[in-house]
Amino acid sequence: MAPEISNASMFLLIFFVLIPISLSYIYALGLSRSIAWSSLRGVVQLVLIGYLLTYLFSLPPVIGISIMLMVMVTVATFHASKKGSGFPYVRSIIFVVIAGVELLVLAMWLGFDMIEFAPDQVIPMSGMVIGNSMVAIGLALERMKHEFNEGKDRIIAALSLGASPKQASQLLIRKIVKAAMIPNVDGLKTIGLVQLPGMMTGLILGGVPPVEAIRYQIVISLSIFTSVSLSAMFITVIFYRFYFNDRWQLVKRKETQES
Amino acid sequence: MVDLIDVQAVSSERLTNIHLSIEEGTIVNLIGPSGGGKSSLLMLLNRLEDPLEGEILYKGEPITNIELGKLRRMIGLVQQTAALFEGTVEDNLKYGPSLTGAWGSAMGRDLLDQVSLPQTYLQKYVDELSGGEKQRVAFARALANKPRILLLDEVTSALDVRNVECIEQRLYELIESKKVEGMFMVTHDISQAKRMGSHTVFMSEGKIVEQGETKEILTHPETTRLKQFLKE
Repeated sequence: MAPEISNASMFLLIFFVLIPISLSYIYALGLSRSIAWSSLRGVVQLVLIGYLLTYLFSLPPVIGISIMLMVMVTVATFHASKKGSGFPYVRSIIFVVIAGVELLVLAMWLGFDMIEFAPDQVIPMSGMVIGNSMVAIGLALERMKHEFNEGKDRIIAALSLGASPKQASQLLIRKIVKAAMIPNVDGLKTIGLVQLPGMMTGLILGGVPPVEAIRYQIVISLSIFTSVSLSAMFITVIFYRFYFNDRWQLVKRKETQES
Repeated sequence: MVDLIDVQAVSSERLTNIHLSIEEGTIVNLIGPSGGGKSSLLMLLNRLEDPLEGEILYKGEPITNIELGKLRRMIGLVQQTAALFEGTVEDNLKYGPSLTGAWGSAMGRDLLDQVSLPQTYLQKYVDELSGGEKQRVAFARALANKPRILLLDEVTSALDVRNVECIEQRLYELIESKKVEGMFMVTHDISQAKRMGSHTVFMSEGKIVEQGETKEILTHPETTRLKQFLKE
């Protein structure tokens, strides 16, 4: 087992934060306040979540898991929907996509007996899936605005040649989904070689043998990969339609001017 | 005789009360300052935009009655920017016909021939092309759909004199052979307007300021605005 980290040791971590703050001050980066605030906020959030998880783990699994998943999906929805401001129904659509993908992945885990329906297993693993879906959706929406803005003339060219919105968008959809998936594809290529992934690291620190730890890591890595690709695909296929009207015309979206 | 295109009191976001009719076999020059509404008018003609008021007829039939894909293949647009798709020249040329399964492998060579590009260009990636070559590929891409009407938005602006002559010659042939029934040609080159269109429309601030036979309105403009524009 790893030794327990004492409160005194935790307090000494303040020195880790003082280094970037000092560097920011010396090089006039203007980040000192931001570093201090982010560090403090991160610590407070983690302390609170530690107590919250302890409480949720003590509840019957269905209640504890449902509450936490709902919170996670809602927060992820609000965060991801910032990137999609200007689109209609953006929050509702993102909520349904994240929740749907999470439920699918959870069903696979439980259906294939990979994990137990216990809060201490479902919640941390779901958190990783939901978090990565949120990032992929944000990337897809950002990229979509960029592509429709930059590629407007090509879309008009395709429409003018007789293409339907779906056919014309094919030119961009591939690029959007690819852009949203690239961080994960790259991460999978070097997984374990450059850095040991978080879940595996945690299990090893907790005393689980590495060969056992990698099993969980493989499950979570492939689950994340699936959820990221599904989220990016769903979001792209749903949202591109908002750039067209039913007369196969490109509509002017305010947010495309801003990106 | 029914007009080929009849624009009846059309107004849109950028255009006001446009009246314009052309007969079959006509090339119409659209001239005027930037932002005057020339490109917007082209967008209305193949329904990339719709008017807020008024109606556009093709041979007496409202263009809104024609199925959209068919209308846009029939009224081909070549934009000011070449806006080529990623990939090879052939990928671009076959885009339109492939939508209806009408692409044949021999078509690519014929289309390149029509815009005086070597046949070896078929497999060339569009990133490797010069500005003028891109413009010619965009023109050939529109021709691939065998349009009945052509909407040309400054299609020769990036070409050298020899290639301008070649494209103009091709446009004449298309009209004379009746493969194309009519053309609307936006140009900033007054000498090109004199060479090409029998009819000229001068647009400014979203309105038609003056229109008539090219020779007549370019040599004896009536309005101050056109006189000023021709001086500039």
